[in-house]
This record gives sequence, C-alpha cells and structure tokens, in this order.
Amino acid sequence: MIDLIGVTKRFGNKFAVDGLDLHVRAGELFGFLGPNGAGKTTTMKMVCGLLTPTSGTVRVGGFPAGSPEARRLIAYVPDQPYLYEKLTGREFLRFVVEMYGLDPSRAGRKLEELVDTFEMRDFVDDLCESYSHGMKQRVVFASALIHEPRVMIIDEPLVGLDPRSARIVKDLFVSLARSGVAVLMSTHLLSIAEELADTIGIVERGKMLAVGTLDELRERSAHQGPLESLFLKLTGGDRPIHAYEPPRVDGVLAASATGEEVDR
Amino acid sequence: MTPFAPSPAAPAAERRGDAVRAFRFLRHRVLRNTLTSMMRGSRLRFGMIAFCSGVFWVGLFGLFYGSFEFIDTYGALSGEFVEYIFSLFFLSLLIMLFFSSGILVYTGLFQSKEAAFLLATPSAPDRIFAHKFTEASAFSSWAFMLLSTPMLVAYGLISRAPLGYHVASLAYLLAFVLIPGSLGAATALLVARFLPRRKKTVLIGLALVVVVGGIARLSQVWQAPSEGLTSEWLDSLLGRLSFSRHPLLPSRWMAKGLVEAAAGNASDTLFYFFVVAAHAGLFYLFASTVARDLYRPAYSRVQGDRTAKRKTAWYGFDALFHRAFWFLGRPIRLLILKDLRTFVRDPAQWSQFLIFFGLLALYFINIRRLSYDLQKPYWRNLVSFLNLGVTSLILSTFTSRFIYPLLSLEGRNFWILGLLPLKRESILWGKFVFSAGIALPATELLIVLSDSMLRMGTFMTLLHMGMVAILCFGLSGISVGLGAKMPDFKEEDPSKIAAGFGGTLNLLVSLVFIASVVTALAIPCHLYFVGQDDSGLGSGIIDRAQFTFWVSVAGAASLVIGAIATIVPLRIGIRAFQRIEF
Repeated sequence: MIDLIGVTKRFGNKFAVDGLDLHVRAGELFGFLGPNGAGKTTTMKMVCGLLTPTSGTVRVGGFPAGSPEARRLIAYVPDQPYLYEKLTGREFLRFVVEMYGLDPSRAGRKLEELVDTFEMRDFVDDLCESYSHGMKQRVVFASALIHEPRVMIIDEPLVGLDPRSARIVKDLFVSLARSGVAVLMSTHLLSIAEELADTIGIVERGKMLAVGTLDELRERSAHQGPLESLFLKLTGGDRPIHAYEPPRVDGVLAASATGEEVDR
Repeated sequence: MTPFAPSPAAPAAERRGDAVRAFRFLRHRVLRNTLTSMMRGSRLRFGMIAFCSGVFWVGLFGLFYGSFEFIDTYGALSGEFVEYIFSLFFLSLLIMLFFSSGILVYTGLFQSKEAAFLLATPSAPDRIFAHKFTEASAFSSWAFMLLSTPMLVAYGLISRAPLGYHVASLAYLLAFVLIPGSLGAATALLVARFLPRRKKTVLIGLALVVVVGGIARLSQVWQAPSEGLTSEWLDSLLGRLSFSRHPLLPSRWMAKGLVEAAAGNASDTLFYFFVVAAHAGLFYLFASTVARDLYRPAYSRVQGDRTAKRKTAWYGFDALFHRAFWFLGRPIRLLILKDLRTFVRDPAQWSQFLIFFGLLALYFINIRRLSYDLQKPYWRNLVSFLNLGVTSLILSTFTSRFIYPLLSLEGRNFWILGLLPLKRESILWGKFVFSAGIALPATELLIVLSDSMLRMGTFMTLLHMGMVAILCFGLSGISVGLGAKMPDFKEEDPSKIAAGFGGTLNLLVSLVFIASVVTALAIPCHLYFVGQDDSGLGSGIIDRAQFTFWVSVAGAASLVIGAIATIVPLRIGIRAFQRIEF
C-alpha cells in the first residue's frame, strides 16, 4: 500500500532523506525507528503528500502521493496534531465527515462508535480549547478513523496519553492492521515497536539501516539482546555517555531511602 | 471501552467530498462558538470593544460630515474634488489591503498547522485557498470597513444622495476588497513557489517601492507654488494628485461609481459597479487558479527551505549592556536583552523599523532641497509639527504591530518566565523599557534632524524633543499595558494579534493620544507664528507673553496626558497580568 523507491529529500544542502526504499503492505504494522533528525517525519510527510521528494517515487495504494485518490486512502496523525480550538470535539468530527463526503447516517453511527471507543462522551461536546493533550489526541485518532482509511500514518502516537488511552490506541493499531489497513508508525518508544510492529525499519541520516522483523534484525546483526541495544548498536548510540553530575547539596553527606523515610 | 471494529473492506469515501459544505460548516460553527463564548465569558470586554468601535465610527463620521459640509459651502461637493478625495482614499486602502492580505494569506497557507492538516485531507488546494482567503479578507478588511463606511455615509447625507446610494456603496466596498486581496494572495503564492528564500526581500522591496514612491509624490504635492487656499493653489494641488485618477486604477472606478450613485445616476452606478465586480471576479479567479496549480508544490518548497542558521554569541554586548544600564533591575535587563535578540533576528521587525524611520530621515535630510527652510516662520512651524505628527504616527504603527503582540506571544513561553525568580510586573517593565529604549533615540534623532533642517530655534527644538519623549513613553505604555490586558495566547501570528480587536483598539487609543499631545502644543505655536514675516517679526494672533503662557499650559497638559497614557495602561496591564492563569 505504501511504496517509496529511491526517495531523496534535500533541504538546501542537507539530505533529510537519502535514497530511501520502504514498502508497507496492506495489513502490516510497520514500526519506523530512528534517532532525532533521522528523517522519519520528513518521510511520513512525503507519504501524505505534504512534501514532494527531490527525487524518487512515492506511491500510496498505487496512486502518486499527494494525489486526491491517495489522500482519500490516508489518515495522518502528526506528532503535534491540529484541532480547531473553537469547535467541540463532536463538531470537529462532523467537519471531517463533511470533508470526506461520508454518508451522514452511516457516519453518525461511526461517530458514536468512536466516541465510545475512545471514551470521549464526557467531553466531546466541550470546546477543544478546554481539552488536555490526551483528550486532544483521542479526538484526533477518532477523526483519523472516521473515514475508514486504508493507510494509517502515525507520528509518535503515544505522546501525552495516559496508560489506559495508550492501551486503547495500541489495541487499535493491531486491530486496524489485522483488518487490512497498512499502518506506518514512527516512535521513540522501542518497547512499543517491539510489542506491536510486524516489521521494523531503522533509519539514520535519511538512510535505511535495517528493515525486517525483530528476529530477522537480530539474526542479521548477530545480536540477541532487546531491541533497545540492537537499535543503539545499529545507530551508533552505544558510544559512551557524558553523564551529568548534579552538584552536592550542602550538609548532605549521604542519603538512602528506606521505606517511606529518608536517612541522612 | 467499546472495541473498535474496522470494516475489512471499508470504502475510502462513499460519495464525493463536499469541501465547500465542510468549510461553510466550519466557519459557521467557529463564528457561533466564538461569539457565544465571548458573550458568556467576557461580556464586558465585548461590550467595551463594541462601544469603542462605535465611538470611533461616530467620531470619524463627524469628522467626515464636517469636512464634506465645509467643501459643500464652496459648491465643490459634486464635482471633481470629491472624486479626488475618494480616489486617493481608495488608492491608499488598495495598497494597504494588498500587503495585509498577502501577508495573512502567506501565513495562513504556509506557516499554520491548520494548513498541514487540511492538505492531508481530500480537499482540493483551491478550496483550502478559498477558506484561508476568506479568513484573511475578513481579518484585513474589517478595519477598512470601519474607516470607509463613515466617510461614505457622511458624503451620502451631505450630498442628499438617494437611499440606493447607501446600498450601492456597500456592494462597491465588498467587491473592491476582493481586488487587492486577490492580488496580494496571488503574489504570496507566487513568491512562495518561486522565491521561497527571498520572501522577506520581496516584501521589503515592494514596501520600499511603495514608500519611496509615496514620499516622492507627497513631496511634489507639498511644493505648492502659490499661496494656500486660493483657486490657483487648489488647481495646482489637484494637478499633482492626478496620478490617483488613472483610468486603470480600481480606486478611480470606485470614486467615479460612488459619485454617480450619490447623484442618482443609475446606469453609470451600475456600469462602474460591474467594472469593479468583474475585475474582482477576474483577480480572484486568477489567484484561485494559481492556488490550484501551485499551492501544493509551494507548500513543499516553503517547508523545505527552513534551514537552521547558527547565531553568533553576544557576550561582549551583554556585558556592555549590563554595565550601561546598571540602574535597571537585573531581571529587567535580561528580559530586554532577550527581546533585543528576537528583534535583531527577526528581519520583519527591524526591516520595517529601518525602512520607515530611514525614509523619514531621508526626507528630513532633503528638507532644504525642497526650500522649506526658506519659507515664512508660519510654514516652517507648520511643517515641523507635521513632521512630528508623521514621526509619531509611524511610531504608533510600530508599537501596535510589534510591541502590542509581545505579551501575547510571551504567554506560550510562560512556563519558562513563570519559573524564574522574578516578579510578573518585571516582565511588563522589561517590555516597556525595551519599547521606549528603541523608540526614543530613533525619534529624537529624527526630530532634531527635522528641526535643524527647518532652521527652527532652540526653544522649538527642545519643545519638540520633549513632546517626542512624552509620545514615546505614552505609546510604549499603551501598547505594553493593553497588550497585557487583552492578550491572545492562542494566536501564534503577531500580525493577526495586531489586526484583531485588541490590536485595533490599541492603535485607536494611540492615535487619540498622539492627536491630544500634538494638538495641545500645535495650537498656541500656530497662533503665535501665523502672522510673522520672513525676519520673524510682526505679530501673530497671540503675542510673545501669551505664547509663553499658553505653551506652558499646553506643555503641562501634555505632560499630564503623557503620564496618564504611560502609567494608567501599565497599571491596568500589570494588574491583569498578575491575575492571568497560564
């Protein structure tokens, strides 16, 4: 469903993405990993058609990225999603329904279903300006799903979500993938990728360093540890860390915690 | 939790997306919710804004009514003279709306999170453009409506126009707004597509052309060859203004059509209306086509051209600043240094400051070339006060555009400032000192330059310098105080903050303040210099002793007005700012 072939994106003289090949099949949950500035968000924006590649091809469902046909298939949840502050959550969802030209009665049922799924009934009729970050994220996820996309692109999905909301979202990704949706998810939480992703791709400086299932990655790199150490090994993140040494507080020679007491 | 069950083969969309209906729904709901929350949460503020707008409208109406009545006594109301006034007025607005719409459309289409959200939906680029264009037009033209409607209503009443004139003038205004708006928007899109790295250069270049052209025209207009208020003088003046009546300018079509509408000439009214409306439609179609074909690639190019630039450190300057301003509290000095860095690193701020004040300096340097210094004391005094007025007006646009939004923009970063060990009022004092610290040296320098070129005496130069100081402190106090009283923490675009209700109110209060201070001192000076001959002898309407007395009274009154304008808004702002919860 998502195909990037030899894609390069330059910002001035800087290569944000450099000859990247990436394929996500229908029903596959692809975990897209990489250090800060590796080119993950740029790649996702190119899939959504927000950025045009300097060279190479990006296709979604066989259509060129950014074409109206491709955009109809996609739902995009950016790391800093946008909501209209002066709309209620329900009005925002209705706006998306209108934008995609969905059948009102069917969309109405879907809307109610999503309100229940994301447990938004208590606040969905309040203005979005009053929402916490987690509430906003839930409305954004609901808006992404209301038109039943075939391709889901999610940048840092669990930022700001409480444990229960995070559980809902994680279950959702799995059920989406199992129903045939292609899910491309970027995250810095390696445990999430380890837990959910069918395929993992690791990028650094715009290049794909490794791609495959977790077992395939371990086998190829001859590394049997957790994903975190594998990731650090591949991206050179296992070099020594300059540890921060906090200044000593006057009068405290040593401190240790026992139960609820602090002994000095 | 109800488990989510996606359809295995869910259709992407069941029927063609109706973006027009979606955007209509969005605008309707946003407007309704905004008004409802304003009425519920801040009725007093809403009422105050409505009241101030009403007072401003009535004040302008009175001014225009009086002016048209005066012109009517000379029997010139129906003639070419009014066409000149209308042509000049609409030409100025045409230029202002071109720039404001262009900037607002650029910000809305290329720098907002909403644009990224909408571009990922199936909505066509020209639909997104139409939505953002409507928003930008509403933002940039409501002040235009507030300015132009009192003038048109006053003209209609004085010229005893039929009722149809008032309906026609409204239709004319609505059609007219689309012309500069569409051209500004199309220019913004073309610049984003083809010159994404040069956008500020283009903006500065265009502004420079307009301002230099405007000043060149103004200086020609002011070089009246004969005595004022004679028919020869008027003919000469109108001849120099003939550029505003070029037949290809939309402002001319507006002027002609409105004058015909007031005369009850239906066929000409309709003809000129269709000329304006057809061009509005044509230019909108052009802008919309540009958006359809270029918006997506332009968006990608603008996003791709944001490269980080390493900035040099300021350690030496910081140390020097701390030493020079030792008498200010250290937190205030640190806040000023932070704002100075932002000012220097934002070309939109320093370039506009430099362009306007630089051009004024250029004009003041050329005063002797225009032989103003050889005119009678009456004219030199008049020109010196006009120069003072222009300097203050430009300063007020600077404080309204850049100083007023400072507090609103600070609100989003308040978690940093809020945790620092400093009092909240220090933040406001920091902004005030920053504003006055930039404005005072620049304006004092200009006024000294102007007065020395006009060969004004030491007393008048000192008087003008004192007035400028009062105006700098007052305008800074008003902008910082009102900025803290009416902050908009949701808006990230400073131009929208300045163009909003609060920003416009700030500009209006600033204008009233300038008018009070300048008029108070200009009147006794005018009355003293009006009858003097070239050698400075001869008697004016008031003699030297009366002049000294009245200037002292007016000076004291200006000081009081200045103190009120500085302290009262700052106190209101500090009180409001201390109560704000972030």
